[in-house]
Amino acid sequence: MSNIYANSYAIVFVFLCLGVLLPVGALTLGRWLRPHVPSEAKETTYESGNNPFHDSRIQFQVRYYLFALLFVIFDVETVFFYPWAVVYDQLGLFAFVEMVLFITLLALGLIYAWKKKVLRWM
Amino acid sequence: MSGTDIAFFLLALAAIAGAVMMLQLTNVVHMVLSLVMTFLAIAGLYVLLSAEFVAVVQVLIYSGAITIIMLFAIMLTRHHADDKERQTTGGVGHKAAAAFAVLAFGLAVYAGIRTLDFGADGSALPADNAKAIGQWLYSYYTIPFEIVSVLLLVALIGAIVLAKKDGKGAEDE
Repeated sequence: MSNIYANSYAIVFVFLCLGVLLPVGALTLGRWLRPHVPSEAKETTYESGNNPFHDSRIQFQVRYYLFALLFVIFDVETVFFYPWAVVYDQLGLFAFVEMVLFITLLALGLIYAWKKKVLRWM
Repeated sequence: MSGTDIAFFLLALAAIAGAVMMLQLTNVVHMVLSLVMTFLAIAGLYVLLSAEFVAVVQVLIYSGAITIIMLFAIMLTRHHADDKERQTTGGVGHKAAAAFAVLAFGLAVYAGIRTLDFGADGSALPADNAKAIGQWLYSYYTIPFEIVSVLLLVALIGAIVLAKKDGKGAEDE
């Protein structure tokens, strides 16, 4: 049992290695193939034709933080969905009602955010 | 030494390396990325403990959502990554004291866990992690589950109240 478990993750490990090696290999190969003639104009940041000025990292408005917070909260909601979906067959209606309550409460939060104009991108 | 042991040592090394790198690096974004390395290594450790669901949640929540939150927080704050502004803290005395404290802590932990008995090894490995969690969560722990939704709602509304200015002032900005 434990052997089967560990061995099935060996394949995951192989995929992980492939995922890391593929971009590294592709970019290294590209570095060998392409000519490397840097000049000052080439090394400037590309900003759709505009000349870049001052630091790229500026201070953002606090209201963008709310998008991140909303994302985290609904991400946590997703975590609860997964085991629910797995056992839904066995628990039936009761689990359905539970999840409807859960979603209703979070939907209230979303409606509140909507009413407060948090979702508007400014 | 089995493959699981080797994997454990590599993952533990990656977790500690990420944590140490986070303390050592000067660029805040690089710090967050090294923290992601620690999070992913810990997810790997969960997989080794055959807690697959927790591992996936670790990747989804910690190295996904929490990292996003931290990156946003970095974008929102003013910071200078100049090395000139960095100040070294403490002289030789401080460093010796810190080294002594770390050593003492390590020895205390080692002495504490060396003879610690964790009881019998967990019975059969639960093959369907998510299923077992789901069965407990949605039949036995129903009330805590619903309270979690209240908690999330409070977090959501609290964040909006704190970050969003109410009234006319907000419109003018």
